[in-house]
Amino acid sequence: MTTLLDIKNLTGGYQDTNVVFDISFQIEAGSLLGVLGRNGVGKTTLARLVQGSIPSSAGEISFAGQPIGGLPAHARRQLGLGYMPQTSMVFDDLTVHENLHLGHNATPPEHYFDLFPRLAERLKQPAGTMSGGERKILAFVRAMSEDTQLIILDEPSEGVQPENIDRMAECLRERVAKGASVLLCEQNLNMLSNVSDCFMGLDSGRITMTGNKANTTREDLNAVLSL
Amino acid sequence: MSSVLFLNLAWQISTLALVALGLAIVFGKLRIMNMAHGEFVMIGAYAPVITSTLGLPGWLQAPVCLVTVGLIAFALERSIIRHLYGRMFDSLLATWGIAILLREVVELVFGRGYQSVSPPIPGTINLIGADYPAYRIAVIAGIILGFGCLYWWNTRSKVATQIKAMVGNPELAQAVGINTARLSAGAFVFGCCTAGLAGLVLAPTIRIEPMMGLDYLIRSFFALVVGGLGSLEGLGIGASIIAGTQTFIGSVASQTYGYLAVLTLSILFLWLKPNGIRSTSR
Amino acid sequence: MVSVLLPASALLAALLLVPELFGDFVAYQIGLYLIYGIAAQGIGFLWGKTGVLPLGQSLFFGIAAYVTAITLRAEGHLIVNLGLATIALAVIAGFAYVLATLVFRGRNESGPYFSLITLALVMIAEQVAGTATSLTGGFNGMSGFNSLANLDPFGGFYYVIVAATVSVSVILLLLNKMPVNLIARAVLDNEPRMQLLGFPTHVVKGAAFAFSAMIAALAGGLFASHQGIVTPTSTGFALSAELVILTAVGGRFHVLGPLIGAVIVGWASAELRDSFPYWELLMAVLFILVVLKAPGGIAELIDTAFRRVWPKPAKATLPAQVAPSVRFNKSPMPLRFEDVHLQIGVVQILNGVSFETPSAGIVSVIGPNGAGKTSALNTITGNLAVTRGQITLGGHAIHSRPPHQALNSGIGRKLQVPSVFFSLSVAENLSIAMMANRLRLADLFRTSTYQWQSVALKGVLDHPEVPLAKGLNEPVEYLPQGHRQFLEYAMTVAAEPTVLLLDEPCAGLSPDETGLMTTLVQTYQATTKGLVIVIEHDMSIVEAISDKVLVLHLGQVLAFDTYDNVRQNPEVMAVYAGGTK
Repeated sequence: MTTLLDIKNLTGGYQDTNVVFDISFQIEAGSLLGVLGRNGVGKTTLARLVQGSIPSSAGEISFAGQPIGGLPAHARRQLGLGYMPQTSMVFDDLTVHENLHLGHNATPPEHYFDLFPRLAERLKQPAGTMSGGERKILAFVRAMSEDTQLIILDEPSEGVQPENIDRMAECLRERVAKGASVLLCEQNLNMLSNVSDCFMGLDSGRITMTGNKANTTREDLNAVLSL
Repeated sequence: MSSVLFLNLAWQISTLALVALGLAIVFGKLRIMNMAHGEFVMIGAYAPVITSTLGLPGWLQAPVCLVTVGLIAFALERSIIRHLYGRMFDSLLATWGIAILLREVVELVFGRGYQSVSPPIPGTINLIGADYPAYRIAVIAGIILGFGCLYWWNTRSKVATQIKAMVGNPELAQAVGINTARLSAGAFVFGCCTAGLAGLVLAPTIRIEPMMGLDYLIRSFFALVVGGLGSLEGLGIGASIIAGTQTFIGSVASQTYGYLAVLTLSILFLWLKPNGIRSTSR
Repeated sequence: MVSVLLPASALLAALLLVPELFGDFVAYQIGLYLIYGIAAQGIGFLWGKTGVLPLGQSLFFGIAAYVTAITLRAEGHLIVNLGLATIALAVIAGFAYVLATLVFRGRNESGPYFSLITLALVMIAEQVAGTATSLTGGFNGMSGFNSLANLDPFGGFYYVIVAATVSVSVILLLLNKMPVNLIARAVLDNEPRMQLLGFPTHVVKGAAFAFSAMIAALAGGLFASHQGIVTPTSTGFALSAELVILTAVGGRFHVLGPLIGAVIVGWASAELRDSFPYWELLMAVLFILVVLKAPGGIAELIDTAFRRVWPKPAKATLPAQVAPSVRFNKSPMPLRFEDVHLQIGVVQILNGVSFETPSAGIVSVIGPNGAGKTSALNTITGNLAVTRGQITLGGHAIHSRPPHQALNSGIGRKLQVPSVFFSLSVAENLSIAMMANRLRLADLFRTSTYQWQSVALKGVLDHPEVPLAKGLNEPVEYLPQGHRQFLEYAMTVAAEPTVLLLDEPCAGLSPDETGLMTTLVQTYQATTKGLVIVIEHDMSIVEAISDKVLVLHLGQVLAFDTYDNVRQNPEVMAVYAGGTK
């Protein structure tokens, strides 16, 4: 296995306030790292630091062996790093079809329409007029279709009905099986434990737990989330 | 309707559409309320003055115009405008400052007085029973052709969608790989260059002076408001209504009444139909 | 009170010293800058507080100037003149109020359109003033009238201007302390949320615009009397733009900012315009720099420097007071949908929804993504107008009304993505929520309003696990999503609505926080004995809290029954199996 993403001693946050501190971890090619933690512990900040929409104040980020810490977000995307944000995850003014075809896709988004038929029915509708859960699904399918090697997903299951969460998990397993890597921030433990190869728990901006599928129990995961 | 009035209408509508095109991009797409739009028209109109002062041949007018306006627009975008995306009112104020700045600079260079240039195509052509300046007919034809090309390009290109995506959600646009800095600068410079070009083609038919921009700005804004932001069809409809009303009422009553009619019409649209007649995407 | 008296007395002292130190001519000049400054203060109030930028303020300035000129020309008695001035101010304010409320009704933005309307109006006024020669004297303007009470513009009239300046400043400083100020800021921050809290935001913006128009008119009247001539430029676009620039440079967030801007720019311009050829250029560059680098203007820079020497005292937390009772009918009532259709564009979202809830209890709404759950709530609060059918609460039709009327019927709403006031502190957010439906006109001008607290809000804040009580003075901007959920919940129940609508209140919450939220909701229902409607995906929550479950699918009611019956319904099982976190 080769290391696709290598984070060393990453620290960063907003303006003068750091939110995550001294984070180090790696993601292998073709594996899924599940990041869990309560609200406000820094999951979203970590995702955005890696993706490049906020600058880090210390530490290194390398992607496929190349340091990317100084690159703007669009350059990171062009190297193969995809992202689905937690909020404002679709282009509200664009139609569903435009949302799906704006970037460069490796898989045609239509491939996922069997699992999420709602998207096919709404292709010409502006994404902003769809319900919260449908927008999550749209953003998820966009992130799945793109020609990326690493996909960062920030709470994709929030507001999504359980059946669709299971379908999302199915898509993730399919992409990972084909060699993609995923950084998944989630609070839904069912989904997280279902798809993750490795786990990382965060509290107060620091890593408090790490483990893999074999040595981590549901109780370990629950412990990270409880107060 | 007399043939001259008809040709005057065609001239006013087509030139207003060209003047307003840049604002349709910068205000309609980039959401920068560019109060300096008229000043780019003004600088474009000074291009023939520049070439004749420097003794350059006439065919260099268009390149000089585009390079001058393009460079100024690029410098302003990189230094000022790029901080203002998503800040509509701040963009209005800062570009108001830019407008004053550009007027003052032009005044320092060329003086406050009127300048005039002669049309590159002299004479008249008899068209639908009226003798009409050949230059104006050439310009009308050129503008129609230009808009045709633009429309054709726009239906094939992803750029309009990318700009819309960038303005609606810049962070996500970056995340899907759009170089937002380059795209916004390109769109701003393109918009300003069309304004400069409008100034260049208008130059032989008007008095060129540093304060001339405001009128073009106001009429462009109102053409966009009436037609609806964000579509080429809307731009055409808006320019037709504004220029048409002003020319028609101006010819049957007086210029003042033509102007008042345009203002009143614009207020009614802003109030009752703020999205204009056409507000669809593209 | 120090924050009002200190700047007001400093201003008064400084202005009274001007004629003593610099002589009458400088006082005359400063008088003119102060007149512009007063008009700019009105712009600062409107723009800084509500975000509405008026580009045509010289409309009111100019009309008042012309009215004053005509009145003074008639040489009537002083009392008559002052009476006429009062009437003119009232008429101008009334016109401004009607204009703004008409334009802003049904529109959730301070947007550029209103600014452009004011711009077009002032351009019409300038044209008319230049053309209607018999009324206005045309381009030459009106002159040949004496100052108010025949005071000398180079002498006694200066003190009239000083009195006006200080009075306007004191009024604005006092308003800063009052709930009305917080309401204006909240409207700027998040208009849809204000409407769901029952505030008619177009009225707030209309009132603010009327007030600023009145201030501009006052300045216009002083201008005519001071200058002895009124021309179309007094009601022109250039003056409007100039006033906005003075406001921006001086600082729109501080009462004295626009005054400082007007005096500094006016004075520097008079001194340098003729001796320094690049003066206009320099002004343009400075103005651009202010917009980019110091949006708070000169006043903000002074304030920051001042606060470094003399830090702001920490806000003392005042004891809570029992809030007055809400105005809506608190008896529980059933909510009834009758054949409700909703279409947006070509998309049919609700397709004949009919059901009637019990008058009390917890109703959960479930269904696949895109079934129309959130849209159904939107039709209840009026955020979406139904295309057919009706919705009644206790027999009264409540559909297709403006959203600010929902709370008048006792309907409170928490949105799917937490909608709070991001630029305000947690405490200020809760204060606004406490005013909802309880505020009477006089309470707008009483600081004790800030101390209101209801039983329901206290219940939430005092709960040991709710993460709000500790950081009351923190800005909401940096609160994590989960805390925002609790904040918005607290704000929604503060008014103690009889019908509480919750749209996925547990989204983004951890299992522990989810448990806390469901406890809060159950406690609320048990105490108020009202109706709670919850959209929820997590079937374990639905099972735990629901008295009845409404299943929506493709814009229609698939089932409306108890949890157990819904679970066994084969049609429901076919489209929606459900699961837990």
